[in-house]
Amino acid sequence: MAKILEGPAMKLFNKWGIPVPNYVVIMDPDRLAQLGEANKWLRESKLVVKAHEAIGGRFKLGLVKLGLNLDEAFAAAKEMIGREIGTSVVRQVIVAEMLDHDEEYYLSIAGNRDGSELLLSNKGGVDIEDNWDSVKRLFIPLDETPTIERITESALEAGFTGEIAERVAKIASRLILCFDNEDAQSIEINPLVIRKSDMRFAALDAVMNVDWDARFRHADWDFKPVSEIGRPFTEAEQQIMDIDARIKGSVKLVEVPGGDIALLTAGGGASVFYSDAVVARGGSIANYAEYSGDPPDWAVEALTETICRLPNIKHIIVGGAIANFTDVKATFNGIINGFRESKSKGYLENVKIWVRRGGPNENQGLAAMKKLQEEGFDIHVYDRSMPMTDIVDLALNS
Amino acid sequence: MSILANKDTRAVIIGGVAGLNAAKRMAQFDFLVNRPLTVQAFVYPPEEGQQKEIYRGGELNNVTVYGSLENALAENPQINTALIYIGASRAYQSAKEALDVKGIKLVTMITEGVPEKDAKALRKYALEQGKIFNGPSSIGIMTAGECRLGVIGGEFKNLKLCNLYRPGSFGVITKSGGLSNEAMWLCAQNGDGITSAVAIGGDAYPGTDFVTYLQMFENDPETKAVVVIGEVGGTLEEEAAEWYGREKRRIKLIASIGGTCQDVLPQGMKFGHAGAKEGKKGLGSARSKINALREAGALVPDTFGGLSKAIKQVYLELQASGVIKPEPELDEKLLPVLPPSVQEVMKQGEVIVEPLIRTTISDDRGEEPRYVGYAASELCEKGYGIEDVIGLLWNKKLPSKAESEIIKRIIMISADHGPAVSGAFGSIIAACAGIDLPQAVSAGMTMIGPRFGGAVTNAGKYFKYGVKEYPNDIPGFLNWMKENVGPVPGIGHRVKSLKNPDKRVKYLVEYVTNQTTLHTPCLNYALEVEKVTTAKKDNLILNVDGTIGCILVDLDFPEYSLNGFFVLARTIGMIGHWIDQNNQNARLIRLYDYLINYAVKEEREVPEKK
Repeated sequence: MAKILEGPAMKLFNKWGIPVPNYVVIMDPDRLAQLGEANKWLRESKLVVKAHEAIGGRFKLGLVKLGLNLDEAFAAAKEMIGREIGTSVVRQVIVAEMLDHDEEYYLSIAGNRDGSELLLSNKGGVDIEDNWDSVKRLFIPLDETPTIERITESALEAGFTGEIAERVAKIASRLILCFDNEDAQSIEINPLVIRKSDMRFAALDAVMNVDWDARFRHADWDFKPVSEIGRPFTEAEQQIMDIDARIKGSVKLVEVPGGDIALLTAGGGASVFYSDAVVARGGSIANYAEYSGDPPDWAVEALTETICRLPNIKHIIVGGAIANFTDVKATFNGIINGFRESKSKGYLENVKIWVRRGGPNENQGLAAMKKLQEEGFDIHVYDRSMPMTDIVDLALNS
Repeated sequence: MSILANKDTRAVIIGGVAGLNAAKRMAQFDFLVNRPLTVQAFVYPPEEGQQKEIYRGGELNNVTVYGSLENALAENPQINTALIYIGASRAYQSAKEALDVKGIKLVTMITEGVPEKDAKALRKYALEQGKIFNGPSSIGIMTAGECRLGVIGGEFKNLKLCNLYRPGSFGVITKSGGLSNEAMWLCAQNGDGITSAVAIGGDAYPGTDFVTYLQMFENDPETKAVVVIGEVGGTLEEEAAEWYGREKRRIKLIASIGGTCQDVLPQGMKFGHAGAKEGKKGLGSARSKINALREAGALVPDTFGGLSKAIKQVYLELQASGVIKPEPELDEKLLPVLPPSVQEVMKQGEVIVEPLIRTTISDDRGEEPRYVGYAASELCEKGYGIEDVIGLLWNKKLPSKAESEIIKRIIMISADHGPAVSGAFGSIIAACAGIDLPQAVSAGMTMIGPRFGGAVTNAGKYFKYGVKEYPNDIPGFLNWMKENVGPVPGIGHRVKSLKNPDKRVKYLVEYVTNQTTLHTPCLNYALEVEKVTTAKKDNLILNVDGTIGCILVDLDFPEYSLNGFFVLARTIGMIGHWIDQNNQNARLIRLYDYLINYAVKEEREVPEKK
């Protein structure tokens, strides 16, 4: 799942003939003046300026400004660019034409196991959640394309009338094309409006998720997906992602501020169960982590050091199932080096470490881990006979 | 009995190195349960025609790599199962081809990162064909005692620990690969082991769902209970709950669902497998899945750790009710032992292998090369130079400062003597003919011999002989040389003479005698010889080869190593000439006719062959 920003989404809409307002994405406010000289619409339309970043609740944060002229838009862009919001910085803004309109419509499409589902409503806008009953659905089986007539029927059911229903159906058919051909997972247009001045449709806002695994067949995808965790990535997360992109296997990290139990767990399935166990026992996790697919020891070492630096942690859970092919000795070697390095830098004081693991070379790996006791680590090592997540219980009861 | 894979399964692996590794693991299982090789063929166009070595225990098998599935099937019509290991961009096409083969009933995809659209299309296609498409991102399928597809089950030791050599009573279905292995272990530790285990993969749209496999297990009389390990996202677990609760089922259901932690995490913060994404309004949340499963009558412990107890409880109940009859445990000692490799046996000191070669100078088995025991980096750090490495590798000694300096200077003054000499000229001709560096340098190198550069070794050798056998008798030495060898190597020069001395010789001799305190018996002896020979003829001076040879003998280098200095030094020059010619884009050269005296027969007719 990869969410993409409004700018790239609008670019893909343009490609598939879905009407969008005029817009520009800028990083430097001064560029707006030059763009204004080149584009009549910037000089003559009311404008909207929005931070072009993966930041939730932009409206409340003052990162969306409406009804501006070019000078005001310049001022708004200047004020927004460079603003720090939590751990992230606004680097881009999107400046778009504000379209005078009456009705707001809702149009979306999302994939499911057997194909996809088109959703239509003539009661779009910010209140769509409250008007969810008005949404009409059209199931589209895999590899099939509904006729304009069929979509028009759905539009009529959704409360659109006459010519509007036909035009909405036409836009919906293009949306289906865009969805199919761009390996999208979901696209939501809210609102879809009719501009009063010339009665033309335009998608005012777009939320689009594409299948990042399909990027090998999309040469024109010049964008990067935005963070999937509801906020921009932290520096440490970014570093681990950079390592992840370079190696065989994978390493992953998500920081969860405020927690005191750090996870250094193996495998996509088991790692989630460790997080669950902490929560189920009333603890709070300081992070989510995962290494899998037999990653090189240096990558696991880097992940370990990052986790040891998390603030205020009391326990580190080095957990994992019985690996199929991840070498326990080699990956533990990376963890051990990371622990030693962190300790020499003054981390891990009063931190208890709990280990449970099995898999190729488990005996050597666990023995090496156990030897850390001799170096003054508060470390507790268990083999496969310990139920997987029970080390979490031990940690929380200690 | 079992599901999906059994004694009759014969597989083709589509893909490269990951598939080969899986085939090796699968053959270990074949050995454990004493069945024929499961993997009968590979399909991987880049390696078409190669044979891959697969050991089933101690028995070496060669498995052919084919360029197409069609060719693999033509020669191996017994294949009924395909494993897809090929990269995500080609996985769809490969799986579809496999589904098109009449005899292939099961296609399981190990490849990760396959686009959802492709997985969805494959699922639909398989359903239409009445076949099973498992995965993507599946670690594999295991049927205890019968068949292993993929690396599921891990290393050989683990196969035994999980009782996979004989069937048990539990079925296993998981999304995660690591947890499939964990679940098999739990079933062996707390029950009697598994019948079959399937990893369906953690993608958003697995090719085959829990319900399909639950139904298969329900139809398999040997399976008495099933362990399902699911996670947040999608609705496969809810469907499984619905299936289980719909009517009275023969099998007991135990489940664990990952992702409950996401209830308390900041909104939108999601992680885990690609498919582990909660939908709108809590649809697909771990909590809703757990509730659905519990309501349907499945046993769902609070944490994963609780699975051990749950499995044990079900096992004991099934035993008490007589559904599972206790079987005597197999004696572990009766199980085959994987033959160790030569390296492993040697490590344990149980076999003696006579080495093929012996080395006394260097060792690169550790973290960095060691020269006669010294770490290369430590030599660098402590200020040693290339001269010292030569001393170590050629003579196994660290030279003193003065000795190093001499070695360095010898190499410096011998590195190149212009393009006209045989060696450099040979390299230049080769460079002009467009030959690559190593070969062009070798062309120059082949010139080194009795007439070019080869005198160093012999000079050193014979002057050393003189020092030993004729210490105070130069005429005696010269006589012996005349009778047994001929002209004294290292004495005489074509153009230089007493009046026109060789500056390099003068320089070297002066440096060694005046600026160092080295003991130089051989050099001193050669200089005495020179006094006698130059009295006879002006140009019978000690030449540079002789000087170098004597000094190196005095430095205690073995006499047969001495030519090495010339070879090493000139290599620098020859490489330089090759680079120089290439920089200038030199053209092919041939000798002008006027540089050749054609001392040949006149043109004449070839006689008829008799």
